[in-house]
Amino acid sequence: MSAVQQKSRARAFIVSLDALFLLLVVIYLVVPLIATLVFGLQGGKGLDVHSYQEIFTDKNFGQTLQLSLELALATTLLAVILVTPTVYWVQMRLPGVRIVLDILSLIPFAVPPIIMSLGLLEVYGSSNLLINVLSLGLVPILSNNPFNIVNTPQLLVCAYVIVALPYVYRPIDNSMRAINTTVLTEAAYSLGSGWWRTFLRIIMPNIWPGIISAALLTFSTVMGEFTLASLFGIFTFPIYLNEVGQSDAHKAASLAVLSFLLTLLCVLGIILLVRRRPGQQVEIAAAR
Amino acid sequence: MQLPATGDEVGASSIGTAQAKSRRRDKIRWSYTLTSWLGLLPFLLFCLLFEILPAVIILEGSFVDSNTNAPTLNNYQRLLSVPSNIHAFQNSVALSAVTALLGSIIGFLASYGIYRLRSNWLRNFLIGFSSIAANFAGVPLAFAFVATLGVTGFVTVFLKNMLHLDLYNLGFSIYTFWGLVLVYLYFQLPLMILVSVPALAVLRPEWREAATNLGASGTTYWRRIALPVLLPSLIAAALLLFANAFGAYATAYALAQGNINIVPILISFVVAGNVGIDVGLGNALAVGMMVVLVVAVFIYTAMLRRVSVWQGR
Repeated sequence: MSAVQQKSRARAFIVSLDALFLLLVVIYLVVPLIATLVFGLQGGKGLDVHSYQEIFTDKNFGQTLQLSLELALATTLLAVILVTPTVYWVQMRLPGVRIVLDILSLIPFAVPPIIMSLGLLEVYGSSNLLINVLSLGLVPILSNNPFNIVNTPQLLVCAYVIVALPYVYRPIDNSMRAINTTVLTEAAYSLGSGWWRTFLRIIMPNIWPGIISAALLTFSTVMGEFTLASLFGIFTFPIYLNEVGQSDAHKAASLAVLSFLLTLLCVLGIILLVRRRPGQQVEIAAAR
Repeated sequence: MQLPATGDEVGASSIGTAQAKSRRRDKIRWSYTLTSWLGLLPFLLFCLLFEILPAVIILEGSFVDSNTNAPTLNNYQRLLSVPSNIHAFQNSVALSAVTALLGSIIGFLASYGIYRLRSNWLRNFLIGFSSIAANFAGVPLAFAFVATLGVTGFVTVFLKNMLHLDLYNLGFSIYTFWGLVLVYLYFQLPLMILVSVPALAVLRPEWREAATNLGASGTTYWRRIALPVLLPSLIAAALLLFANAFGAYATAYALAQGNINIVPILISFVVAGNVGIDVGLGNALAVGMMVVLVVAVFIYTAMLRRVSVWQGR
């Protein structure tokens, strides 16, 4: 064996260290999925789909899933509608204010859902002079009829928008900065396009990948959110999952598999919709 | 984009009209700034109502007696005088630190493995799989681990029947601290992979070539060049993982129905439990959590700012 061969063998050993860890991590990530799938199918004796049949005939399954889907859809729409024009507006008109948006999108990391739910219950649950003044009188309007949002799904949607803010703001801001918004906007204006038209017809199509990532990440976050719904007492899909899981571990395993499939769909959506847009590359390249 | 009125192009005009023009110009500029801020108003109001005010009321409420509304430090005194409250903080910090440390070291090695993969297809597949796994948290994750490593879990039974290895007789339990570490790593590791694969892209092949040409060994290259460049991103990633674990509530709750003493679960018991509601203590606990998290997020952003030097932004 030549010296060169020995050296390359020694290098192969060093290389295999990170490959080994990669393999271990993949095994660690895959084993619970397979185990859960099999465990869910083991409901009776041997292999059967009994637990899945029970789940699909359960009235609560359909109802909570529908509620969660509606909440996720509403949150996604509200988040994208609220954030996208704001990011564009700030980039064009007030570039100095970007730091404020950065900070606002970092706050959810420092105020996790458990603290947010506590705070929201206090803000909208009781009358507090300081809060009434600081909110410019909006909180008393929102916590009394006819616009009472205390403990309603509407308040939950608003809270979810904040929880999802980092996942919405980052991708949209990144893709907005990747295209040259100033040049695009000036070109559109010089051709007689107005603000909204420019935003909807020029900017939106160019940052579509960012919006899709933001939307699907928000969607999958809301579908799995447990903390806020539990403290607000709203019966969503994860709450149902927790309730069932306490009485029947096999059914819970099957439900866990179903929610994994839901997450899978969202992420596949991001990958397929964002990566495979042949026209996209050209448009962005033209904008630079 | 409407640009603010700039420069007076008509040169020869009287002083009076020039003054009037400059006044009008100021007015236009002022109204321009005003409309700029008005466009920001919906977003700022939304954040005020649902993001800022909840944090403000918790901070205020932690210094106020929840019955008499008188200013007090009593909430913090009660927090500090009960040992189980202190234990909750110790457990939370230990759990988050251990999962962040293990997650970032193992996750970094694994992402280096992904980074070196020759097959593009496999790399994309693994990154896609990581983003699914990172999103698979909370209640379903807890049940998946009960189904896998619980007392009657698939792997537990498999090991018992095939290898005569009884995990629960050996002292292992999914419901203990280390069991929880194992569960948390399921979302920490993929998150680390997602964060550090792009960070590894800053390593230029030329650096390695230059180092090798100058006689550096593989270890020297890592110790003197690659690690110093990567360190800020690794620290930032570790802090992200720490914050991620520190705020997590659903996973631990669904796993043990509150039989694990960590701060988020303690807060939910104090403000919505069966024993009696103590909003003041809940606020004080929440402020304690926010202080830890604000420090983590602050270091995180400071590290990211250092990273941007290498990315040439």
